[in-house]
Amino acid sequence: MSALKSLDPRVARLNIPSEIELITEKEEQDQLNTYQVFRQMNLKRPFEHVGIVHAANLELAFTFAKEQYSRRQTCSGIWVVETEKVKTTDFTEDQESIYSKIEEPENKKGQMEEFDFFHLDKRGKQHVHIGSMKAENHEMALWRAKQELELDKPVYNVWVVKSEDLLKVEEGFQDIWDTLPDKRYREAVDYKAGDKLKEFKERMNQAK
Amino acid sequence: MYGSAQIFDTPKLKELENEDPVKLAEFEARIERGEKIEPTDWMPKMYRKQLIRMIEQHAHSEIIGALPEGTWITRAPGFKRKMALMAKVQDEVGHAQLLYSAAETLGKPREQMIEDLISGKSKYSNIFNYPTFTWADSCFISWLVDAGAIVNQLANAKGSYGPYCRALDRICAEEAFHLKYGHHCVISLATGTEKQRQMFQEALNRWWPPMMHFFGPSDKISVHSEILMKWKVKMASNDAMRQQFLDMYVPKIWELGFTIPDQNLKKNEESGEWEYTEPDWDEFKRVINGDGPCNTERLAVRKTAEERGAWVRRALKNPKSAYVTPLA
Repeated sequence: MSALKSLDPRVARLNIPSEIELITEKEEQDQLNTYQVFRQMNLKRPFEHVGIVHAANLELAFTFAKEQYSRRQTCSGIWVVETEKVKTTDFTEDQESIYSKIEEPENKKGQMEEFDFFHLDKRGKQHVHIGSMKAENHEMALWRAKQELELDKPVYNVWVVKSEDLLKVEEGFQDIWDTLPDKRYREAVDYKAGDKLKEFKERMNQAK
Repeated sequence: MYGSAQIFDTPKLKELENEDPVKLAEFEARIERGEKIEPTDWMPKMYRKQLIRMIEQHAHSEIIGALPEGTWITRAPGFKRKMALMAKVQDEVGHAQLLYSAAETLGKPREQMIEDLISGKSKYSNIFNYPTFTWADSCFISWLVDAGAIVNQLANAKGSYGPYCRALDRICAEEAFHLKYGHHCVISLATGTEKQRQMFQEALNRWWPPMMHFFGPSDKISVHSEILMKWKVKMASNDAMRQQFLDMYVPKIWELGFTIPDQNLKKNEESGEWEYTEPDWDEFKRVINGDGPCNTERLAVRKTAEERGAWVRRALKNPKSAYVTPLA
């Protein structure tokens, strides 16, 4: 069978049969799991949810998250966690805070552990890290937060994550977030052509 | 950024009769108030379906769009252009990742979307079914196809679905460099030798018809999309976006001394609208249905990448860690 002809030398090298069958049906989907990513834009800002990545494990999720979410914007830290490990509350509306709906859990058992809290303060925005506290389990963490947090604004939704489940790469690794000075070609300011354009237009006008 | 006008199904209003009228009214009131819809909110089936289709098409356009530009990385003139084009193409593939993630929150796994792309079931921006013969074609895409996509995506960023809007905000923030880079490349050709000028003029001649197709069929013949506008899925009509693009970029093309291959193209000073020769919508339909110069190649390349990368995914797969729909 002849190979697919292409103007693209890379495609020509792939040696793809010209009569390729396009329909693929897989017996089983082989896609990887999803991980939630939180990013800190600079050391003065809290960590914020920025999106997800697909990865085979936590370390690869971090590697990919760094490429995806810190490549083009400033960043001083990234946290990743398996989606399944994030416990979420319901959503509330208007002035009602979700904490008003949190009731005392029946299960109060568990070893005291650290939990991280992410709040949604405004619909349409993303969850922001507000801190951590110790509790026996996820439900107790929410219940304790309800007693201890003094909030002046309603919170519409909460994510609770056991701190141990988060892979946190932040302080102590600051140099990995530095952007190399020779990467200015990624910035719009590196493409000034105003003078060239002005000179060209003057030349054109003179020629008329 | 490569998203163009999306191809929507004709909304079947009958489907709405099965929806809970109270919930539907609450949903519409939320959109009316300017609030975003989030993945766990109640939404009509039709809204979910149309959004998945739209965001998925946009994501496909980003990865397929990387092919005609990516081919010029190794042949870009000079080290700096190579670095810049490589960075731009990497950004576009990153945009696909962000968009697939947004679509996934609606319940369709990414792998399913990739399969639908390869089988031809799901579409991508029609303009990428045309080849990039020369470096100037790649410059046309970087400057003007990106510019067209920005017109479209800035409108969509004000839409109603939270995860899509947030992905678009991120994407738009990365775009400033692409547009400036593309313009810089074209200015270099325009102010260069006669041969360089001719090369861009030829690219412009080739790409103008697909560029006019880019925003989708004329409002006169396109599907009535009132409900999609009301739900803020579609934010501006195809003709309105085309007009905005012409208004912003025709003067910039003319100031470089190039000729746009449409004798009827002019701005009607009274109406403020651009007049142009009606694009060939039969060709548009023919190409979108598979009969364009590069359709087969684009999908064959994707399929080959999918097949030849399968062993990597299999090797990495952890049987204890199953796919979970992302949260937001």
